[in-house]
Amino acid sequence: MKLSKIRQTRYLLPDSMTKKSFLDTLGQHFIVKQIENNLEKFALLDSFEWALYEHRIMAVRHENQRISLWFEEEDILDPDMAHNIEHISAKTRFWWEFPESSERDILKKLLDLRALYPVYEAMLRTEQFNLMDDDGKILVFCQLITISYPENIRTPILRMAKIIPVTGYKTENKQAIELLKSLGGFIPRLSPIDSLLGALGITPKPFSIKPGLKLDPKISSRTAASTIISIMIHKQRQTEHGVIKDIDSEFLHHYRVALRMIRAAVAQLKEVFPPQDVISLKQRFGALASETNYLRDLDVFILDKERYMGLLPPSLKDGLLPMFNDFEQSRAVEVKRIARWLSSRAYKQEMTELETLFENGYSALETHWSEQPIIELAVSKIQKRYKKIQKAASKITHNTADEDIHEIRINCKKLRYLLYFFGSLFNKKQVKVAGRHLKKLQNTLGIFNDLSVQTEFLENHLDQIEHQSRKNILLIASLGGLISSLHTMQMQEREKCIAALAVFSNGRNQGLFKQTFVLPVTNKKGKSSQ
Amino acid sequence: MKVVASYSIKGGVGKTATSVNLAYAAARAGNETLLIDLDPQGASSFYFRIGPGKKQKKGFFFNQKNHLLKNIRGSNYKRLDILPANLSFRNFDIMLHSMSKSKKRLKEMLDLLKNEYDLIILDCPPNINLLSENVFNAADLILVPVIPTTLSERTYEQLIHFFENNGYKKKKIQPFFSMAQSNNKLHHQTIKEMEDRYPNFMKTIIDFSLEIERMGVHRDPVLAYANKKSAAQAYRKLFNEIVTSL
Repeated sequence: MKLSKIRQTRYLLPDSMTKKSFLDTLGQHFIVKQIENNLEKFALLDSFEWALYEHRIMAVRHENQRISLWFEEEDILDPDMAHNIEHISAKTRFWWEFPESSERDILKKLLDLRALYPVYEAMLRTEQFNLMDDDGKILVFCQLITISYPENIRTPILRMAKIIPVTGYKTENKQAIELLKSLGGFIPRLSPIDSLLGALGITPKPFSIKPGLKLDPKISSRTAASTIISIMIHKQRQTEHGVIKDIDSEFLHHYRVALRMIRAAVAQLKEVFPPQDVISLKQRFGALASETNYLRDLDVFILDKERYMGLLPPSLKDGLLPMFNDFEQSRAVEVKRIARWLSSRAYKQEMTELETLFENGYSALETHWSEQPIIELAVSKIQKRYKKIQKAASKITHNTADEDIHEIRINCKKLRYLLYFFGSLFNKKQVKVAGRHLKKLQNTLGIFNDLSVQTEFLENHLDQIEHQSRKNILLIASLGGLISSLHTMQMQEREKCIAALAVFSNGRNQGLFKQTFVLPVTNKKGKSSQ
Repeated sequence: MKVVASYSIKGGVGKTATSVNLAYAAARAGNETLLIDLDPQGASSFYFRIGPGKKQKKGFFFNQKNHLLKNIRGSNYKRLDILPANLSFRNFDIMLHSMSKSKKRLKEMLDLLKNEYDLIILDCPPNINLLSENVFNAADLILVPVIPTTLSERTYEQLIHFFENNGYKKKKIQPFFSMAQSNNKLHHQTIKEMEDRYPNFMKTIIDFSLEIERMGVHRDPVLAYANKKSAAQAYRKLFNEIVTSL
């Protein structure tokens, strides 16, 4: 029957329960026939951000050959309810590496650039039993799932039974449930996925590169700056293992975003540190970032391969392939170099030193701003930055140089970081609106900037090519085509930037920023309200 | 939802074997399938190891959806449910006589299940009475197993006449040869003659087979216990042919 979707019940069983006691107990009322007993290596898959978990989806890789997905929590680990992606290899990680299917489409949305990688590995035993009457009529289906460590299969970490009723056999279903209860089985309090992860001792920690701060407006500016930097160093360090193992390109991207935010905090809040310290900190964090520049450039180009190919007429497409092959090869070398660097003693020592500097509040001589409440510094910084953008934007005309637009883009980025750092100090709703306007502008400016960076990269590449071989002539032609395509796109984007800047600097947005980022009104009793 | 009846005026022609195996094939092919055992002898139910339904109040079948649903049993196979035979079914005819719209009661009842199933298969008792007429109205397709003998030929003709005389759509009737013996010359001859006269005969022929006879021992569809044998293949072929004509 379709509509009357049968209610299944899942029970956690005590680890100490033996298979014999399980069979004997069910055997009190039923003839128990085992129809499946499958032991295999399994890996629970998710992205670093736990995107599948967040959407209550579970993915499991079996013996590196097949991936099973469950979109309904009730069905997890039930082989009959799995959506399977077959014929995959141990290396299959990205949605675009999966065969075309509706499952792939779902993964595409959830993962984007993220890899699906093992977050937990163990042995999985799936057993199916038919509980029957004397006539061999099945009255209840029962599934037993056992998870154990590979080195110790006989001692389970988790035992879970699922009772699947057969239409028309309600009484028998109840009987089976009572028998499981008599074995010590209980319905887990948490949802199926959470109870499974809980039993395995996995705590999903969804990762976000945003600082997610909740600052007290009254704390000193230096304490606040230290907290921000400390949090971002922690995030930077969380991404290291993914870069070393080369799980996906987002790890390096986030590594760099974290560093960028740290550098922004140092540079934009420089008043809270002694000037000579600012110079040294800028230099130290800057060195870490620049080490990874080349790998990131390569990542960006390789990720955009399909898009570049799409910009060229068919006759010129193949011309680009040798260049991308070069990129892939360079990347393989560069990834190894970066992995060595991140694993090196020198790097680890540098990081430990930097961590220690900020962990318990940066200690150095007081400065004019260091002991002022953070709210005051925040208001001053945000207002100045917005005014700067607004002023520059109001001067933009169709004749403005590209450099001036880039300058505004950099200022927008600085403002964005200020909102990340200090957003929690102001009215949540208004900050959200201001943030949304800023984001919109940044997206437009970002596309414009990306196009010019890409053009520059390609032009540099063009300069380095030797002209003799036929292969290179083809590449030169393709690059020419590509650069002119990008140029046309950039011209169009420029117009969009000008329009977006006009919106961002209009009276309404000026008002919004003026009203949102303000010092709290202090009433007579000294309590503040917003 | 489609309704297929396995029907013949004559008994012992392979109606139940057809119902049971087609129902199994349909469920295997991904269809939510319900097999209704209308024959009070309950052979279909027996093959699926399901005992007779509980004694029901008179008329439960045609009156209340809930009661009907309560009597449905899941089989040992996915997507395949059975409404087991009930001894009260023997009184169908009398019951129907006392009802209004007495020839369309079954159709109305089955319509209530249209959200639950993709396919309903009716295993009918051998007869031609008011219940049969309900089947003629309710079914989209009426499968008629015909043993290639003179006697069967006669009953088939009777059925055609009945349809003509009572205004039922002859198009619904899909006869096929059942229990045919490949080494029997008379069978061969009858098949040829009938196929000439009735071009609507299905291409698939279900030969007489010990494998099918053994269903009573296995209490399972042939397709389940002898999946690769020729009898199973024949039923699969028959199912595919039905799918294309539905």
